[in-house]
Amino acid sequence: MSYSASRLRTLSITLIGCLIVAGCAASAKNSIFFGKTEPPRDNILRYVSGSEPETIDPQIPNAQNEARICLALYEGLAEYDPKTSEAIPALAERWEVNKDSSEFVFHLRHDGRFSNGDPITARDFVYTIRRGLTPETGSRTASFAYPIKYAQAFNESDVLVFDSATKIYLLEKDFEEGNSQTLAAMPLSSLPFKSIAEEYPVAPAGNSAMDTAFHQFMHSPARLVLPKSEKDRKKILDKNPKLNNAVAGKQFVPVKAEDVGVEAVDDYTLRISLSQPAPYFIGMMPHQFFRVLHQKTIEKFGPAWTDAANIVTSGPFKLESWKYYDRIVVTRNPMYWDAGNVKLDKIIFYLLAENTTMMSLYKAGELDATYNHTVPSAWLDVIGPLKDFMDAPEAAIDYYNFNTTKGPTADVRVRKALNMSLDKKALADWRHVKALTAMTPDGIFPGYPQPKGDPFDPEKAKRLLAEAGYRDGAGNFDPKKFDATEIELITNPDSNNLSYAEFILAQWKQNLGVTIQLRPMEAKTFFKAQSALDYKGVSRTGYAADYTSRCSTKPIAQSIISNVINYWLRLNNCCWTRSP
Amino acid sequence: MLRFIIRRVIVIVPMLFIIVSLTWVLVRLAPGNFYSGEKKLAPAVEKNLREKYGLDKPWYVQYGKVLKNIGRFDFGNSLKYEGQSVNQILLRGLPVSATLGITAYLIALLVGIIMGTLAALKPNSWLDYASMTLAMLGISIPNFVLGPLLVLLFSLTLFWFPPALWNGFPSKSLVLPALTLSAIYIAYIARLTRSGMLEVMGSDYIRTARAKGLSERQVVTRHALRGGLLPVVSFSGPALAFLITGTVVVERVFALPGLGNYFINACFNRDEPLIIGIVAFIAISVLVFNLLVDISYAFIDPRIRY
Repeated sequence: MSYSASRLRTLSITLIGCLIVAGCAASAKNSIFFGKTEPPRDNILRYVSGSEPETIDPQIPNAQNEARICLALYEGLAEYDPKTSEAIPALAERWEVNKDSSEFVFHLRHDGRFSNGDPITARDFVYTIRRGLTPETGSRTASFAYPIKYAQAFNESDVLVFDSATKIYLLEKDFEEGNSQTLAAMPLSSLPFKSIAEEYPVAPAGNSAMDTAFHQFMHSPARLVLPKSEKDRKKILDKNPKLNNAVAGKQFVPVKAEDVGVEAVDDYTLRISLSQPAPYFIGMMPHQFFRVLHQKTIEKFGPAWTDAANIVTSGPFKLESWKYYDRIVVTRNPMYWDAGNVKLDKIIFYLLAENTTMMSLYKAGELDATYNHTVPSAWLDVIGPLKDFMDAPEAAIDYYNFNTTKGPTADVRVRKALNMSLDKKALADWRHVKALTAMTPDGIFPGYPQPKGDPFDPEKAKRLLAEAGYRDGAGNFDPKKFDATEIELITNPDSNNLSYAEFILAQWKQNLGVTIQLRPMEAKTFFKAQSALDYKGVSRTGYAADYTSRCSTKPIAQSIISNVINYWLRLNNCCWTRSP
Repeated sequence: MLRFIIRRVIVIVPMLFIIVSLTWVLVRLAPGNFYSGEKKLAPAVEKNLREKYGLDKPWYVQYGKVLKNIGRFDFGNSLKYEGQSVNQILLRGLPVSATLGITAYLIALLVGIIMGTLAALKPNSWLDYASMTLAMLGISIPNFVLGPLLVLLFSLTLFWFPPALWNGFPSKSLVLPALTLSAIYIAYIARLTRSGMLEVMGSDYIRTARAKGLSERQVVTRHALRGGLLPVVSFSGPALAFLITGTVVVERVFALPGLGNYFINACFNRDEPLIIGIVAFIAISVLVFNLLVDISYAFIDPRIRY
């Protein structure tokens, strides 16, 4: 999963921790620290963010190792708050939101500059968002911009339907299946524009009141969008005869970059129109997909624009060198608008993925900090109590899926029994994490408590299994009747995944007397087996949040319901959070 | 001789074809692809990626492209690493692997021959037993165990050498990986030297040399070593090829930016062009090295003719 706000927090906390450790503890006894505690020679942070990045083009990759490097190199309209992870002003000094959160006006700071000295204007943001959505860019995170009007249609290379006789486009609202959308249900951004004062609780200043032609286009009802490929289009048309008739003889016009709802009202005012109300949209602005890029460099060098010789960045650091598979060095960007507050001269990102190698480097004093989850599980008992171990909270969950389509786990009683025979609290205490009963941990959103879930109750678990048919003559649960070879636990073999899995298997052994096999699989083989439901019993998933909003966890809920476990929500207390 | 060389060079072509085709099929059989991961991509995003990298084309078009690329020694662009060509990556990784391999090779020759000779000069003495025990250990401890053990001792306890990372040649960071890599070869070479030397030391010309009144040192260095090292020479050719191309595990353990590390990650990433590029490159190097070894035999051993 991609960049998580709280991981940034971890980074900054770890960083501060290390500087303090390095600065004042040189004379302290080494035994209370895991690493070497000599003060560093230079003002340089030596850090590990994971393996070699796919690219440092922030709009393409979707993993965390790249995200942390992109954070140093690029700046967006907003930045993550170091404490709460919420969006705080960055290149946008302030912003206004209309009454139903379907249109946003950003006011850019006038002193924003790229690393080559070019000013950063609203036009650069328009370019950046359009470029990320262009199908040829191949962005893995383009769907983050889908709330923007026509963004999804452009990214999917869809077409609009144009009637050349009447010179008008067909509209979506005329062909809605079921009830056609009433005017009241439509977002403000798709209704005729009245006035700034009526639509905005706080009226935006300056030119943002300007009702441009593009703005009027945005405020007109959404046009009908159809797939470009004839085959896909036919599927939709066949289902909707009314639509099929209306489309006959009409012209198909591809959705263009210029149709996407981003507009530079003037040099320093950016207006973004959404296709639906989305209060969470502002929380996504710090995401790397929305961080501003330099148009001329990208157009001049193509994919080679990220080479150290060519790259132009917008963040607090610029790229000094990238030695592939070895290290990326970023150095202070003097053009950065807040350069005065950048304390580090350089950051060296060592590009490596082996946890034990990182730990060795750290212990030998070659490294100042690493990203989270790098302490191998088995070492946690030794390293956990030491002073340079940072235990910062993180919004990430681990959970186990049951395959409900075959084997014993097709029976809800078996799933409940396996769940209720796990002492999650013991696991959580052992691994410094929190036991969960739902996807959204307590405290992430005020007033959003977790459902209770089933309690730890091995006796009831045994009764359920007996009911499910695994019983002896007396009607009691008989582990011998339970064919454990029909169930296995599959996971990708990250060392921590394995130690969690072993703990869980030991619990099942201890509480139910059944021995379930662990089958570690190479990552991509595992993901394939998992999504194809090609496994017996139980599989493991992990997920980290990208931005703060209730919606951030929605995609998993969907994917679980659609392709992993149908009854998950009824049995959803098999997950917990992890911290580093 | 020339005909032999030409014949061997021509054989490389079908060999390469078979190796590349097999690799391609195996990569295709492996589940998942370069963009698959824990989180599912939006369908449109996936479609854009497939089009961008030509994965939407029929298999014979894609396979044809692979063969065409090999024919031109241009392996195309990496799927995983945006904007980087496989050739660039090979050229970056090779010097690291070669430096590491050759250093380990020299260490293995030097230490192995000395150990073997000492053992052969005093057979069944404590020196002999000690050398051969060390050699046995070198053969039986796999390098993914030896590497971390050396790190534990020399980096984390004594703080003599860095536990990982690459600082070029010469540097302290080269010591532990080169030692780890050479251990098994030191062992082989020591044993080969010992048996070769023992055989030679009992032969007639050594007795003649002694009879001439040469000192024991001269007997060993001038006469015995020459004959005794023949098995080592024939072993050392393929060993060099394996050392340069067989650095995978050691590069992984010490996080070195060599071909082996790239190769492992390419496999995990399902980065097809990179996998095929590295396999083809290693295949060509092994074939060429073998050819060179065969040619060199003709010079070392006058009995061999082609």
